[in-house]
Amino acid sequence: MQEEDSGEDNTFNEDSILELAKSKPNGISNNDIKNEIPNVLPEMWTKSVNKLLKAGTLELFKDKGVLLYKYKDPSTKTEVKGSDNEEKVVYKIIEEAGNKGIWIRDIRFKSNLNMTQLNKVLKSLETKKFIKAVKSVAASKKKVYMLYNLEPDSSVTGGAWYQDQDFESEFVDVLNQQCYRFLDGKREAAIKLGGGPLMCRNRSYASAHDVHKFISELGISKVQLSVDDIESILYTVVLDNKAERTVNPSGEYLYRAINPFLKSPGIVRTTCGICPIVDRCADSGLINPKSCKYLTDWLND
Amino acid sequence: MSLQQRNVIKLILVERFGNVIADVGDIIFQNPSSLYTIVKSADIPLSKVKEALSVLIKYNLATFKLNTDAITAIYSLNVKNILLMLRFPKFINLIKAKFDESYEILVEEILLKGCLTASELIIKVTKRLQEQKNVNILLQELKDNFNSLITAKYVMRLSLQSLKVDELFLLPNIDLKEILAVLNGGNDTLPDAGVYWTINSDRFHQDLRDQLIVNSVTNKFDENMGELMRLLLQQMYVRTDPWVSSSNPIPILEVKEIVKKRNTHPQLVAFFEQYVAILEQDVTGIIRKVGEASGGSFQVEMKHIFTQLTWEAVEEIVNEKFDSKASRIFRLVKSRHYIEPEQIQNLVMIPAKEVKRILYMLLEENFLVVNELKRSATSLGPSKSFTLFHIRLTQVIRTMIELCFKTLYNIMMRRCHEKYLNKRLIDKKHRVDTITHGMRAQGISGDSVLDIEEMITPPENEILERIGKMMKKLSLTEIEIDDTMFLLEMYLMYE
Repeated sequence: MQEEDSGEDNTFNEDSILELAKSKPNGISNNDIKNEIPNVLPEMWTKSVNKLLKAGTLELFKDKGVLLYKYKDPSTKTEVKGSDNEEKVVYKIIEEAGNKGIWIRDIRFKSNLNMTQLNKVLKSLETKKFIKAVKSVAASKKKVYMLYNLEPDSSVTGGAWYQDQDFESEFVDVLNQQCYRFLDGKREAAIKLGGGPLMCRNRSYASAHDVHKFISELGISKVQLSVDDIESILYTVVLDNKAERTVNPSGEYLYRAINPFLKSPGIVRTTCGICPIVDRCADSGLINPKSCKYLTDWLND
Repeated sequence: MSLQQRNVIKLILVERFGNVIADVGDIIFQNPSSLYTIVKSADIPLSKVKEALSVLIKYNLATFKLNTDAITAIYSLNVKNILLMLRFPKFINLIKAKFDESYEILVEEILLKGCLTASELIIKVTKRLQEQKNVNILLQELKDNFNSLITAKYVMRLSLQSLKVDELFLLPNIDLKEILAVLNGGNDTLPDAGVYWTINSDRFHQDLRDQLIVNSVTNKFDENMGELMRLLLQQMYVRTDPWVSSSNPIPILEVKEIVKKRNTHPQLVAFFEQYVAILEQDVTGIIRKVGEASGGSFQVEMKHIFTQLTWEAVEEIVNEKFDSKASRIFRLVKSRHYIEPEQIQNLVMIPAKEVKRILYMLLEENFLVVNELKRSATSLGPSKSFTLFHIRLTQVIRTMIELCFKTLYNIMMRRCHEKYLNKRLIDKKHRVDTITHGMRAQGISGDSVLDIEEMITPPENEILERIGKMMKKLSLTEIEIDDTMFLLEMYLMYE
C-alpha cells in the first residue's frame, strides 16, 4: 500500500517539477523546488529529479555555484541509438551549436578526438541521419554540421539572396530595378497630382513597408522576402545614386527617387576616358591614337 | 606640369601658331630659359626665335623676368593661358547668349589678337560690320558696347606691374571722330594708343561656373528651382566677392521681390517659400539658413556645391569606366569613409568574389587606397590586421585631370592625323571653293561654275562629308572634355 502511495506521489512530484521547470526556461534551483512544492520531503523530490535527469527530460547546469535544472523537450531529445560514447559526445557538441552549425575544427578542439576518428564518427552520424553538413556562404569550402532536423540560420545560408550557396545577383538586380521603378512611379504620380513642390516631395517618399507590399504583390519572388530584405535592396538603390534616404520622426527610413546633378561628364563620352589600356597608349608603339581601333569605331559610329 | 600637359600644349601651339612657335614654346615649357639657350637648344635661327617669343608675349602666352645676373631675360611659358585657348569657343558663345552679335564680334576680335587698343578694336569690328549698318551709328554702338564689357569686367587692361588693381577697369578715351578719320584713310595717332585691352578670364569663368551650378540644379530639381538658383547667385554678387567659398547672407525677400517683378515663372512665384525650403532642406546643402531676420537670409555654399558636383562626376566616371556595380561600391566607400571588405560585401548585395575583384580593380586604377591597421601585438588571432578601403578625392581628381589631358591629346592628335591623311583632298576642296567663290563674285554663274564644282567626284564628296562629320565630333568632344576639366579645376581651386 505504502509503496503504491509513494509511487503515486512520485509521479505527482515529477509532473509538478516538470511544470515548474517549463515555466522557468532559465532553469530552477533546489531552493525554487523547495519553495514551490513545500509539502514534499526533500528526499522524495531529489529522487524524482534524479529520475528525470536520467531520463533526459531535465538537464543539470551550474551557474555561479548554484545547481540549476532546465527542462528539455523530449521531442528534441533523440536517442543516439546503437552509438558509442564518442558519437554521443560529438552529437552533443553539434546539438549545442544549434542552427548556426559548427565547424569541424571546433568539434575537434571541443571533443579532443583525433581527425581520423572524428571523421569516422561524423560519417556514421550522417549516414544515420542524425546530423547533416551544410555549406556556409561565408566561405565556400567551409562545411558546418548541425542536427538533421534543423533549418540552417540565415547567416549560414545567406538568407533570401542565396540559392545553394550561390548569390543570386540577377534576382537582386531585378529587385533593385523594381524598387527604383516603384519610387520613380511614386514621384511621377506626385508630380501629376500637383499641389506645390513641397507636397510633391513629401508625396514621393515611400517607406520600406510600401515597397515591400508592392514587391510582394508583383509576385516576382519565389521566396518570402522580409521588410529588412527590401530595406537592404533599397539601400543599394541609394548607393546607385537613384534615390535618397531620410529618417522620419518615428525612426523609419523613407526613400525617394532623385535626379542626378550632372549628365555624364565629357571625359567618359569618348573612348579614351573609358579605355582600359589608356595607360599603355603612347605616340609610338602598337597602341597609339593615330591607329586606335576604338577611336576609329567610335568616329565611324 | 606633366608629360600629358606638355603634349597638349605643344599641339595647341602647333594648331594655332605653327611649328616654330610650338618648338620655342616647348623649350620654355620644360625650362624657363634665356634667348641664347633657346636658340642653342632649338636649332632655329635667332630672328625666328625672337619673332616667336614676341608673338607668344603678345598673346600673353609667355612672360619674362630679369635673370639673377641682371642682364639677360628669362622667358617662361604661361601654361594656364595656353590651355585657356581651348575654352575660347565657350567664351564667345557665352557672350553671344548674354548680349548680342556685336558684343560677340568684339570679344572674338580680342581673342584673335590677344591684346589690342580700344580704337584698333573698334576699327577692326567696324570694317567687319560696316556693310550691314551705318558707320556713324555703328561706331557709337560699338563704343558703348565696349564700355559695357569693361564695366561688366569681361575685358580688362593688360596688367602691367605699374598698374593698380582699380585702374584695370578704367574706361578708355575713345575719340570716334579720329577713328572715323582713320577709317577714311587718315593716319593720325589715336588718343588711346598704348593702352592695351585683353579679356578677363576670371570673369568668364565666373559665368561658366554659375551656368554650371544653375544647370545642375535644374537637372536635379526643375526649371523653377534653376531660376531660383540663378537669382540667388545674381543677388549674391551684390554683397559678396565672386570667388569666396561661402557667400555672405542673402536676404530671401530681395530674391522674392525680383521673382515677383519678373513673373517669368508663375510656379516659382506661387510656391516661392516652398522652393526655398526644399533647396535648404535637401541633403546636398546648396544653401544654408543663417538668420531669421526679414524672412530669412541664406548663404550659398560654393565650395560645398563643387565638392558635391565633383563627387558626382567622379562617381559617374567610375560608373562609365567600370560598371554600375563598381560605382555602387565606390559610393559606399565614400559614405563610410573607411570600410572593411567584409562590410562592403554585406551592404552592396554583390557576390563576394565579384566585390573583391572590383575592389582591387579600383585600387589598381588609383580610385581607392588601402589603409592597413595592425592589431596590437598582444592579441593573437587569425587576422592580425584590418584592411580598410578609403578614397582620397584630391588624388583621384589629379589622376582624372591627367586622364583628361591624355584624352585631349589623343583626340587632337587623331584630328591632326586625319587631316594629314586627307590633305590632298581637303586642299583640292579648298581650291575648288576659292575658284567658284571668285567666279560668283565676278558674276559668272551657270554651267562653268558647275563644271568646276564637278571636279570633286561623288566618292570624294562622300569622303569629305565623312571627314567633316568626324572633325565636328572631335571638336565637340574636345569642348566636352574641357567641361570636365573645368569642373575638376573649380574643385581644386576651392580646395
